[in-house]
Amino acid sequence: MARPTSFGRDTGLQLRMTLTLFLLGLVYAVLIGVVFASGYSFLVVLVAGMFLIQVFASDKLALHAMGAREVTPQEAPQLHAMVERLCVQANLPKPRVAVANTPMPNAFAIGRSPKKATVCATTGIMELLSPSELEGVMAHELTHVQNRDVMVMTIASFFATIAAYIVQFGFFFGGGGMGSSDDDSPSMAVVILVSVVVYVISFLLLQALSRYREFAADRGAAVITGRPSALSAALMKISGSMERIPQRDLRASEELAAFYIFPPHAKQSLMNLFSTHPPLEKRIAALSRLESQLQGAA
Amino acid sequence: MGLFDIIAGKRKLARPAPDRLFAMSTAYVTFQTELSIATRGVAGIVFQALATADFEQIAQDMIEVVEGTSSDSGTRVETRDDEYDYRWMILRDQDFDDLVVGVNAVSGALEAGGYGDRILCAVFAFEDARGRPLYWIYNYKRGAFYPFVPGTGDHERNHERELRLKAQVGAELPIESELERWFPLWGIPI
Repeated sequence: MARPTSFGRDTGLQLRMTLTLFLLGLVYAVLIGVVFASGYSFLVVLVAGMFLIQVFASDKLALHAMGAREVTPQEAPQLHAMVERLCVQANLPKPRVAVANTPMPNAFAIGRSPKKATVCATTGIMELLSPSELEGVMAHELTHVQNRDVMVMTIASFFATIAAYIVQFGFFFGGGGMGSSDDDSPSMAVVILVSVVVYVISFLLLQALSRYREFAADRGAAVITGRPSALSAALMKISGSMERIPQRDLRASEELAAFYIFPPHAKQSLMNLFSTHPPLEKRIAALSRLESQLQGAA
Repeated sequence: MGLFDIIAGKRKLARPAPDRLFAMSTAYVTFQTELSIATRGVAGIVFQALATADFEQIAQDMIEVVEGTSSDSGTRVETRDDEYDYRWMILRDQDFDDLVVGVNAVSGALEAGGYGDRILCAVFAFEDARGRPLYWIYNYKRGAFYPFVPGTGDHERNHERELRLKAQVGAELPIESELERWFPLWGIPI
């Protein structure tokens, strides 16, 4: 009897992820309720417009911000061939492949759907890692593509963005005065207050969601390559050199940071709660559990 | 991919699609009679060789299975690891049907060992009337074939020839419909 896959299931992770999304939805429902009750619903329309611009323009902006350039198969034959094989294995259409010319070892994936995705590796990571380690990293990025993480995170942070804008606009308009003359509807001050609370809670939830999806991408990479330990080795190498190499000019937006293989500003002092990426030890531990599943499944 | 997969993050490899490998056996008749494309008497199946205890044993057993299934001429099998750490099991047999049966035996053995999702693809090597190489690649995840014709330059492929092959073979083979999934395979050792 054939075993279905080489790896077990990860029900715990899926449950936590679904619960986080559910809580986010709950918080957002409160925000929408309050905003519409207050009669400031034009704010939602305004921010929705900005959101659409963000969704459709962010890919090129992100690539540009990283100094990344799309490369042809002739320019980077090894990287292309590696991505192609991983795509066959992951049953994905081939994404665009880009390279960023920076010594900082990193990789990221962008694009709202698998067909529009781009995976990018820096020249630093290609020099640092062995082929099998780089393969693990690229498989991690392809799993982000497969899971549509850019889309999920953008949509999940949509209302958090609205809340943030409401806080800014609210103070700009000087709070209370304008808008609702209806006595029953909440005043601008209430809307701002609710928005602040929504923003704080959703920020924490989004960070948690990002960490879960990071774990999921690690797992996906291990499943695609069948070599969890290679990704562990890659993560250790990257984090080691991350500390050695000075942080160059890297003012990438926070949203972008969520899709790095490794966060660009990983400070040990940061509390886990405020981090887009799980701590290295936890990722390694999860990967070594996968390795023993793989070996034990024999 | 369903909505729940997106929300929860899908982390499973796609299972092999329903097996349409044997369509190659019938299509080969057309290759020979109408397109004057002949087999080079060699085919390969590419998979990730996992570093698990039982994998090497399964790989060893596969060789015996393949050598046992070939009818008369005897299929010769060799294994080779390529520069991307994928393992090629290369089958040599002048009888094309035996090659297809042999490739199927390898994938069947991997499947039975629980490593079916590790198979990358199968490759059949041909040459046209002028002796230029062309390959048909079978993607197990998609259950579809596509042509791969290396061009003259480095990492160049002859797209024109590939598209013409698709049109010529037509309904004989289940052909991959999405052109962006016609993944090249450089450095084919056959």
